[in-house]
Amino acid sequence: MSLSESYILGFKHFIPESIAVITMVVLLLLASMKNIKKVSYTLAGIGMLAALATLCCNLSLPPTHIFSTSLIIDSFGTLMKIVMVLGTLGAIYLSYSSSDIYPELKIEFVIMVIGVLIGGMLLASASNLLTLYIGIETLSILSYALASFKRNDERSSEAGLKYVLYGGLTAGVMLFGMSHVFGVLGRIQFNEMISLIPELTNSQIVVLIPSFLLFLVGIGYKIACVPFHMWAPDVYEGSPIPVTTFFAIVPKIAGVSVLLRISITLFNEPGALQFSWVAVLTVIAALTMTVGNIAAINQKSVKRMLAYSSISHAGVMLLGVLVVNKTGTASIVFYSITYLFMTLAAFYITSIVSDKYGNDHFERFNGLLSRYPLMAIVMIITMFSLAGLPPLSGFVAKFNIISAVIDSKFYTLGIIAVLNSVISLFYYLKIVRHMVFCPSESNEKIDGFALSSQVIIGIIVVPIVLLGIFWSDLHSLSTSASLFVSL
Amino acid sequence: MHRLLDFILWMPLIGLIGVLIIPKGNKDGIRWWTLVNTVITFLLTIVLYLKFDQTVPGMQPYFAVRLPWIEQFHIFYALGVDGISLPMILLTGLLFVICVLSSWTIEKSVKAYFALFLMLQLSVLGVFLSTDFFLFYVFWEVMLIPMFFLIGVWGGENREYAAIKFFLFTFAGSVLMLVGMIALYYVSGQTTDSFNILALQGGHFRNMTVTLFGFGIPFNLLFFVMMFIGFAIKVPIFPFHTWLPHAHVQAPTAVSVILAGVLLKMGTYGFLRIAFPIFPEATIYFRDIIAWLGLINVIYGALCAMAQNDVKKLIAYSSVSHMGFVMLGLAALTVQGTNGAVLQMFNHGTSTAMMFLMIGVLYERSHHRWIVRPDGTKGFGGLYTQLPIYSIIFIISMFASMGLPGLSGFISEALIFLGIYREFTTITVLALLGLLIGAAYLLWMFQRMFFGEVIEEVKNYTDMNKREIFYMLPLCVAVILFGIYPSPILNIMKASVGNLVSFMASYH
Repeated sequence: MSLSESYILGFKHFIPESIAVITMVVLLLLASMKNIKKVSYTLAGIGMLAALATLCCNLSLPPTHIFSTSLIIDSFGTLMKIVMVLGTLGAIYLSYSSSDIYPELKIEFVIMVIGVLIGGMLLASASNLLTLYIGIETLSILSYALASFKRNDERSSEAGLKYVLYGGLTAGVMLFGMSHVFGVLGRIQFNEMISLIPELTNSQIVVLIPSFLLFLVGIGYKIACVPFHMWAPDVYEGSPIPVTTFFAIVPKIAGVSVLLRISITLFNEPGALQFSWVAVLTVIAALTMTVGNIAAINQKSVKRMLAYSSISHAGVMLLGVLVVNKTGTASIVFYSITYLFMTLAAFYITSIVSDKYGNDHFERFNGLLSRYPLMAIVMIITMFSLAGLPPLSGFVAKFNIISAVIDSKFYTLGIIAVLNSVISLFYYLKIVRHMVFCPSESNEKIDGFALSSQVIIGIIVVPIVLLGIFWSDLHSLSTSASLFVSL
Repeated sequence: MHRLLDFILWMPLIGLIGVLIIPKGNKDGIRWWTLVNTVITFLLTIVLYLKFDQTVPGMQPYFAVRLPWIEQFHIFYALGVDGISLPMILLTGLLFVICVLSSWTIEKSVKAYFALFLMLQLSVLGVFLSTDFFLFYVFWEVMLIPMFFLIGVWGGENREYAAIKFFLFTFAGSVLMLVGMIALYYVSGQTTDSFNILALQGGHFRNMTVTLFGFGIPFNLLFFVMMFIGFAIKVPIFPFHTWLPHAHVQAPTAVSVILAGVLLKMGTYGFLRIAFPIFPEATIYFRDIIAWLGLINVIYGALCAMAQNDVKKLIAYSSVSHMGFVMLGLAALTVQGTNGAVLQMFNHGTSTAMMFLMIGVLYERSHHRWIVRPDGTKGFGGLYTQLPIYSIIFIISMFASMGLPGLSGFISEALIFLGIYREFTTITVLALLGLLIGAAYLLWMFQRMFFGEVIEEVKNYTDMNKREIFYMLPLCVAVILFGIYPSPILNIMKASVGNLVSFMASYH
């Protein structure tokens, strides 16, 4: 098979990404016209659903390298892409009615979100340093613009600037680390690196360890784990809610999947390299969970609280990465899927409340249960699920992660993780308290929660409940996906 | 007939769905529906009692249910009943009927109240019926959600604090249990039964060590302690008891009754079902500490109760003291001690439920619970002359709670002391002191509230109405009947308790 033939064949597996690109380009062309909001949103929706459908077709594929081994298509990456596409779809839906995004910028928002998604998808199947870097940069550059989307708002501009400065710095550090990795190993292909690792000399390992750590900085920044998390609360709070929702899902999932892919392939062999990698990740994971949770306790804005809580969730996901085995991978896939639904539901309700009152302080949630029972019940379920209470999917996800951790005999980490979920329960209960116990400020009903929104919120919340009870199938799906993490 | 346990467990769910369907305005419809539902559940537990084979030690194979749930983790939907869980199931069935009757006067969001109430019953029954650890854990945690709202919405003036404290404390305990549960799953070395509570029994972990914060710790000791904390918070054992007075005082009457009557027993039931049989060596290792903690509970709870001016808080602390006796009975690991402990779990369930119900009845008339108000004036006085029927029932419940011979509390406490005397003589003697303080604070409370000058306010109180007398009667019958003739309860637990004790003795 000639190179060009295999190149064309590769496109067969690249259809989902291609669809996303085409959707983006078509929307770009449409954007110059007026009064086409509905049309372009429909187009975006169709594009995303088509990408989703083709991704589902790719699920059963055996791991395949495409484009002369620069990308790898396997069911792990495909599942993570499905989560990302669903997250994007959710953010696009949110932006349609959200007053947080200026009406004239809505189409631009959709375009950029899809652009970030493409970066994330590249990242999830990156199989060499180059595609990895391209993926990260595609993801980042558009994210900077998204963060400052409310351009008349000081906080949003600040968020954008912060994101750019931090992002530029960490990208530089990461590139520096990558150049050292290349310098030592002489390869950019991950699968070629694997075979070199057992033959490394001690002096090479001494150079490799810090260079991988520098490399970790760039990914850690995307996942927003401690100590690279400083930007997250400000950016999350400053950005419009649809953007925050998107940031809490897509870059995080993309970062986790690329980190996992690297860990499980390059650091699979026990030895000094694995030991230091796991040790660093252990410290980062424990810190991320704890710092995120403790900082979330004292927040006044629900969005900011959710931002910190998403930091701590990233910490929990890192637990699944650092065990470097298949159980861990399966638990991450499971966690990502439930995290997607919980995050969407939480931000959706916050968005409705914030649209109504102009801000998202806890007091705005007062008495929500009596004013809008359905919305409050959905929020209660989501909060309990995020805290990890059975019989909700958040519990099962946490159960899977902690199982993986304990299976690998990290008992201390397991205990830290569960104690953290106690702390998290405290601030999740705070919202529940405001919704249920506090009397409301006014008795007027919130409108704008039409039948269609109810259907959508139902679609989001039903999996949160059902996956907590009937999780057998999803578990086997994520386990089967974990078998194919390869390069 | 072997689906009986399924019916008992899921009956409250049918009730819950019904409550959700009945329109909000139809308050009486919701009340009657809930009442009928809980009565059916209670009748089903009676059927279970009648069908129960008293000679079988351990789980009754006739009733066992075992269906695969999550096959990858070997998690089963497994239910079973034995002589230790049956008294608790009967108690749950009875108390929920009574609590529905006592909640008849609740007017605030009736629908939500009874829906949460049935959810609570479902989870409590689930805990007592599960023989799969994962299933047990799920029910154990689900219970927190209805409790949180029941205390937080329908409670007293400081309800939010109480609800959140209760939720966080119990959640902290149970997540430690979660870690223990998962660790057991992975180290038990069994491939198919790793969440099966029965198959896990009997220390398979003798020589294993665990590295925690860099220290090597024997596996069974570490995880026994983690499970112990999880259950101890529920019991509650000193120093994990601080949530209890708040939760009790703030909760509405019916919820206090369930909390004291059933939920506290979940903790001691957890010891009997999980912590002790799975970690027998660790249990024996920590036995002295458990006994001393039990003693602290007895004395400390009684002394705290004596210092209270709020009568509900007084009863709440008396629960701490009485659960201490249960812990003493358990720590003895003798036949009499364990029989006494299980019987005390049942008897305390009925007697403390009576006390809380009686205080609830009084509160509906007085709207305060001060024996002595903060400003030093008397809160009640001369109730005896004003409310004769109330006083008689109050006396019965107080004496039952005190352990007066002829009433139920006496038998179980006597058994506990019999069981523990040879094992821990000093503790027995000191615990008898707790009994004395117990009599003192109850009589002192009674004297201050019921005797003496009739204060002006009390003159307006009406005596108990028919509904109130009606729901107190079964409990009165229970405390008197089981005080004179405890065999119906003792017989069902005998075989299972004997089995457990001889199992534990083999690890001495």
